[in-house]
Amino acid sequence: MKRITFLTGYYGSGKTELAINLAIQNQVDFVVDLDIINPYFRSRELEELLNEKGIEIISSDMDSKMHLDMPFISKKIYQPINNTTKRAVYDLGGNDQGAKLLRQFDDYHDEEYDLLLVVNIFRTETDNADKIIQLINKIEGISGFKVTGLINNSNLLKDTTIDDVLQGEKVLQTVSKKLGLDIIFTSIWEDIVIDDNLNVSGEALKLKLYFRKNWF
Amino acid sequence: MAKVLMKGNEAIALAAIKGGVDAFYGYPITPQNEVPEYLSKHLLANGKVFLQAESEVAAINMVYGAAGAGKRVMTSSSSPGIALKQEGISYIAAAELPCVIVSVMRGGPGLGGIQPSQADYYQATRGGGNGDYQLIVYAPESIQETIDIMKESFDIADYYRNPVMVLVDGLIGQMMESVDFDKPVKERFLPEKDWATNGTMNHPGKRNIANSLQIDPKALEQHNIHLQEKYNTVKKNEVRYELINFDDPEYVIVAYGTMARICRSAIELLEKEGISVGMIRPISLFPYPKEAFAKIPDKAKGILTCELSQGQMLDDVLIANNGKHKVGFFGRSGGMLPDPEEIVEAIKNFNERVVK
Repeated sequence: MKRITFLTGYYGSGKTELAINLAIQNQVDFVVDLDIINPYFRSRELEELLNEKGIEIISSDMDSKMHLDMPFISKKIYQPINNTTKRAVYDLGGNDQGAKLLRQFDDYHDEEYDLLLVVNIFRTETDNADKIIQLINKIEGISGFKVTGLINNSNLLKDTTIDDVLQGEKVLQTVSKKLGLDIIFTSIWEDIVIDDNLNVSGEALKLKLYFRKNWF
Repeated sequence: MAKVLMKGNEAIALAAIKGGVDAFYGYPITPQNEVPEYLSKHLLANGKVFLQAESEVAAINMVYGAAGAGKRVMTSSSSPGIALKQEGISYIAAAELPCVIVSVMRGGPGLGGIQPSQADYYQATRGGGNGDYQLIVYAPESIQETIDIMKESFDIADYYRNPVMVLVDGLIGQMMESVDFDKPVKERFLPEKDWATNGTMNHPGKRNIANSLQIDPKALEQHNIHLQEKYNTVKKNEVRYELINFDDPEYVIVAYGTMARICRSAIELLEKEGISVGMIRPISLFPYPKEAFAKIPDKAKGILTCELSQGQMLDDVLIANNGKHKVGFFGRSGGMLPDPEEIVEAIKNFNERVVK
């Protein structure tokens, strides 16, 4: 993983769960929550858990009062970018609107970064290659940053089977070929039983669902 | 359409489209904003009407007008927004016009907060509007159930010429589940809307009027009696509930919506400890499933009402129970969700709620 990883994607594609998983598994220093779109299930809700693991959370909310519904962004979000010894995952809000927040990093194009597009093909707005490419174009246009890779996060939550993951991979391979972007990660929920010989594109990322309680 | 992953609010919007909605009028409020967002994109694209009104009051009166013209209409909002709509809702019920109102509850009172709550049970079933009127109220517990009920609600509203409210909390609005939009719903025979104010082409010389003003007290009482007869038919035909783990339970939980989901997990935990607990899950809140309470075994030790409020459905439980069993209460409010373990404790330390 690059020093700075931005996660973008259609809203509801699983960016926040992925951000938390990537941060914990790669022991980064910061998770930066730039989601000003969603009112619920934001990474700031997991502040305690992340702090225990030595990860600091920088949130777009004032003093992490997580239930504020305001498009407020802390200046602290520049810290990880400016301090080149630190590694961070930036969790953007959904769609091109969410990616708009990248505009403020216009002066930092030279930093070592990845902008990864999280895709779940079971979200109707990204269920085929054309729609995904359209979304990439919109995100690149509005953010001024190039998408550098793809994450296959195709799932139906508790109903997911490995076939669903592979169905997503097929769609993303088409995108990959057309745009010359690699699939960097394939996420697989830890409860899914998989064959040891299974080969997926990129790194297989075992996903723990931190937001999901056992009753939903 | 195969299974897809949807957020509750998006699913409400798409289910409305599948249910044949012609027009949506609303005003933004968290945590239901994805409903209008989705509809703004997809209704207009399909040649239907989407209109963001200047206020909730304006929106509900637009619903009144469009429903009067015989169209399938809906609005959606959250707690304080639904409060603002009450006047219009009473007018629509009085004029016997069909529409669907989606209420995605958040913490109250007042502006409250944006986290999930069930503190608008009174608002939905008792009405904040004036007069002897009733909404037909459904409170689904999953996104799939929300979709099925949304699709059917337009038919139910048309059938009874009455507003139907689909009542969920912010969690169901915001969470995601894999769902199927093609599950068939009950088909109903729906008569022509010969009362609609859509011109005199089909009845030359006779104008239809949608109105709630009735200054002759005799006629107004007759209208009220007619409405009560209609509500009684609804009570007879439209009760919905689910009985869970009802094989000789020691205690019975009564819970709906998100709280019912939490209670399901609590029931499993209690089962492991050898305590058998059943659940009545009301799906229709009006009509309230009173008959379900007759199925509680005589020797059951008590009924625990669980709500994300300080105790509102509790009133209906006390009425339905009619003094037969001890009734206790567990509630969280303000947007706080309990863990199943808290319900387990409440059952283990069951206390009768003493009403002073």
